Amino acid sequence: MFKESDILKVVKEDILRILSERRRKVPLKLIKAEIGVSHPFISKGVKDLRKENLVCIGGDLISLTKDGEDKAKDILRKHLVLENYFKRTINETEAEAHKKAHILEHYISEEVVKNIKKISTFKEKEISLRELDLHKESLIIDITIPDNELFERVVSMGIFPGEKIRLTNKIPGGIIVKIKNKKFALDKGIAKEIKVLKYEKS
Amino acid sequence: MKNLKILLIGQPNVGKSSLLNALVGPRVIVSNYPGTTVEVIQAEKIFDDTKVNFKDTPGIYSISDRSEEEKVTENVLFEEKLDGVIVIADATSLERSLYMTLQILEARIPTVLVLNFVEDAKKRGIEIDYKRLERILHIPVILINPLTKKGINELINTILKIERISRGDFVVKYDDHIEKAVNKISTQIKGSLPKRFVALRILEEDKDFYKYLKSEKIIRDSKEDLKEHPKVAEDISITRYGTASFIAEKVTRIIPLKKEKGKIQEIIDNALLHKIWGPLTTGLSFLVIFGTLLYLGNFTQKILMNLTESLLSSLGIAKYSLITMILAQGLTGLAAGVSVALPYVFLFYLFLNLLEDVGLLSRFIVNTEKFFKKIGLPGNSFIPLILGLGCTAPAVRATRILPSKKEQFHAASLFAFVPCSSRIAIIIGIVGFYGGIKLALFVFATSLIAGLIWALGIKRLIHINNEPLLLELPPYRKPLIKNVLVKSWIRMKDFVFIVIPLLVLGGIAIGILDILELTNIIVKPFSPITTWLKLPVVTIIPLVFGFLQKDLTGAMLLSVLGSKISLALTPLQIYTFGVASTIGIPCIIALGILIKEFGYKKALLLTGASIAYGLLFAGLSWRIFSTFYH
Repeated sequence: MFKESDILKVVKEDILRILSERRRKVPLKLIKAEIGVSHPFISKGVKDLRKENLVCIGGDLISLTKDGEDKAKDILRKHLVLENYFKRTINETEAEAHKKAHILEHYISEEVVKNIKKISTFKEKEISLRELDLHKESLIIDITIPDNELFERVVSMGIFPGEKIRLTNKIPGGIIVKIKNKKFALDKGIAKEIKVLKYEKS
Repeated sequence: MKNLKILLIGQPNVGKSSLLNALVGPRVIVSNYPGTTVEVIQAEKIFDDTKVNFKDTPGIYSISDRSEEEKVTENVLFEEKLDGVIVIADATSLERSLYMTLQILEARIPTVLVLNFVEDAKKRGIEIDYKRLERILHIPVILINPLTKKGINELINTILKIERISRGDFVVKYDDHIEKAVNKISTQIKGSLPKRFVALRILEEDKDFYKYLKSEKIIRDSKEDLKEHPKVAEDISITRYGTASFIAEKVTRIIPLKKEKGKIQEIIDNALLHKIWGPLTTGLSFLVIFGTLLYLGNFTQKILMNLTESLLSSLGIAKYSLITMILAQGLTGLAAGVSVALPYVFLFYLFLNLLEDVGLLSRFIVNTEKFFKKIGLPGNSFIPLILGLGCTAPAVRATRILPSKKEQFHAASLFAFVPCSSRIAIIIGIVGFYGGIKLALFVFATSLIAGLIWALGIKRLIHINNEPLLLELPPYRKPLIKNVLVKSWIRMKDFVFIVIPLLVLGGIAIGILDILELTNIIVKPFSPITTWLKLPVVTIIPLVFGFLQKDLTGAMLLSVLGSKISLALTPLQIYTFGVASTIGIPCIIALGILIKEFGYKKALLLTGASIAYGLLFAGLSWRIFSTFYH
C-alpha cells in the first residue's frame, strides 16, 4: 500500500510542472482533469502549495509565484536529466523513458505510481485540435494564437483552457467543434493553435 | 422630463433585437454610425416622466477593436454620455456573457444584467442562482423572456432608477505585475474616463485608447517593466475569462439530465455540414429563395405597373406637358420602387432573417466559406450576391454585413457581373427570345467568366486579408415571426427612402430628355462604342439610356430597331448586345447607393471601370466567336 503523503507529493509536483509547462495561469478544472487522482487530493495539494508560497490563486486560476517557478524548473530539469539518462543508457523508446522519468522524479516506488492511475504524462499527450479524432471529446489545455486580438476573440467566445471540447464535423478548410452546448466553426489555422489533451479513458 | 440614454449590448444570437422589440415595439430608426457602415438601431419611448433612448449595436463577444462592430460599440460606450448599459446574457453559457459584463464594469458604467433563454437553460439542466449573482457583482440581474414579456416591466423599472445602481464595485484582480503596470499607466491618463479601464485597454494594445494618455512614453516604460511577463494582453483575457467562469460556476447548478437532448440538432448538422450534402442543400436553398423572389418580383411589378398605367390613363391629362410628365414619371418611379422593395428587400430579408433566427444561416456560411475565400471574400458574401440577382441597389447596401470596407467594396464590384432581375430580363427577353436560349446561356456564362477573372484580379489588386473562419453556430430554434417581420420591415423602410427619390429622378430625367429631343445629341459622343462592338449605330441609345432605367433597355432596343430584331442583328450581334448591357454597374440607382456607401470617387471609378470592362469583354468575345463563325 502507498501512503497518502506520497500521493500528495506526486500531486504537488505534478501541479507545479503543469503550471510551469503552460507558462501562464491555469484553471483548477484543467489540473483536476490532467492529474487523474481524486479531487480532494488536488485541492489539498493546491492549498499546501499556497501555504508554501509556491503558487497563488485568483478565483479559479492558479499561477506560479517566483519561488514556485524556481521549484518547478528544478522538477523539470530533473525530469529531463532522467529521461535522457534512460534513453541513452537503456535504449528505451522515448515514451517509456519519459514515463520512467516521471516515476523517478517523485522519488517514490514504481508500485505507488501504478496504483495512481492516469498519472500525468503531459507533453506526449498534447495534440493540436486539428489532429483530434472525429467525435472524440477532449480537454483544451492551451491556446497559442500569436495575435492577441484574435486570442481574445477566441477566449471571449468561450474557447478556454480547461473546457471540454468535442470535434463534431470536419469541413473543407476547418472543423466544427462543440464546447458545452455551443458549436463553433473554426478555421484550420486557428484549430492548429488550440492544444488539446489526447483523451484516454482508463 | 428626464432623459436617459441606454445601450443594449450582447453576443450575436443572444436575443437583443427581440428584447428591444419587447421594450419599445417596432418603431425604431436604423442609421449608420458616423464614418462607418455599421448600423446602430435607435428607439425612443416615454415611460412615466422619463424619455429613454435605447441604442442597439451589432452583437459582439467583447469590448475590443478587432472588428468595425466592436469599434463602434466601444465608441458608443465612451464617446456618447450613456446613462447605463443593459447586458443581455445567454443563460445557457453564462460565463461568456459575464466576460463582457466584467469589461463594462471595469469601465464603471451602470449596468443591468438580463438573463435570456432561462427556460432553455432549465431544459438542459442549468439553473442559475441570479440573486447570488446580484450579490457577487453588485448589479441588478433580471430574468427575461422577450416572447412572454416576462421580466420586461421589472427591467424598465430598473432602468428608470439606473442612477442608483452602483458602478464598478466588482473588480477583476489581475497579476501583481499587471496591477502594478495599471497603476503606473493610470497616473498618465487624462480625461474623465475610468483610469483603470483605459490603462487595461492600453495594456491590451488597443491603440484607440492611446489618445487618452498624456504621453505615449509610458507605454514603452510599462513594457519595459513587464519584460518578464511577455504575454500581457493574453493574460488579461485569460484572467478575465477565468474570473467570469469562476463566478458562473459559483451561481450555476447543473442537474444531470437522464435523457440526452439535442439528438435531432446533431442529425440536421451532420447533414448540413456534410462535405457533399452541405453545399448541395445550401445551393438548393439559394435557388429556391431566388426563384421565389424572381417570381414574386415579376408578379408585383406587373400588378403595380398596370395599376399605375390605368391610374394615369384614367386621370386622362393631356400628353406632353411638363407637369403631367413629372406626375407620370413620379408615379412610375414610385411603383417601380415599391415593386423592387417589396420582393427584393422585404421578402428577401424575411427569408434571410428567418434563416438566421432558425439557425440555418451560419451553416450556409460555413458551406460557402471555402469558395468565397478563393476570390478573397468571406463566406457570408453570398447574402448580398444572391440579393444582387434580384436588384443591385439593395444588394450594394447589404454588403455592410461584410467585415471590412475593402471586402464590402470587393463584393459590391461583383454586382457588375451578377445580373439583376432587369438584366436577366434583357438576357432572357431579348437575347433568348430573338437569338435562342443557347445564346442566352452564353451571355450568362460570359458574365460568370468575366466576373471570376475580375474577382481574382481585384483580390490581387487590393490585398484583402480575410479573417479566418471563427463562427458560432447557434442551436436551431423556432423563429419569432413577429421579430422577423419587424426586422424586414426596418430594412424595407430604410431602402425605400433612399431609392424611390432616385427612381423618380431617373424617370423624370428620361422624360425631359425625351420631350426636349436631346437623346440623339447626348448619345453622339458614345457612338465609337458601337463600332467596337460591331453593332448598328442606333443601338447606342438603349445601351446608354439603359443606365437611367435598366427595365427599359429592351423596349428601347425594339423602338430603335423595329420589332424584327432577328433581321436587324445577327445572332452574334444579339449576344454582344446582351453581354454589353449585362456586365457593369447596371444603373443610376445602383450608382446612387454606391456613392452613399463608398463615396463619389470610388463609386464613379467602379462604375466607369466595370462598364468599360464589360464593353471590352463584349467586343473581345465578338472577335473570338466571329473567327469560329467564318
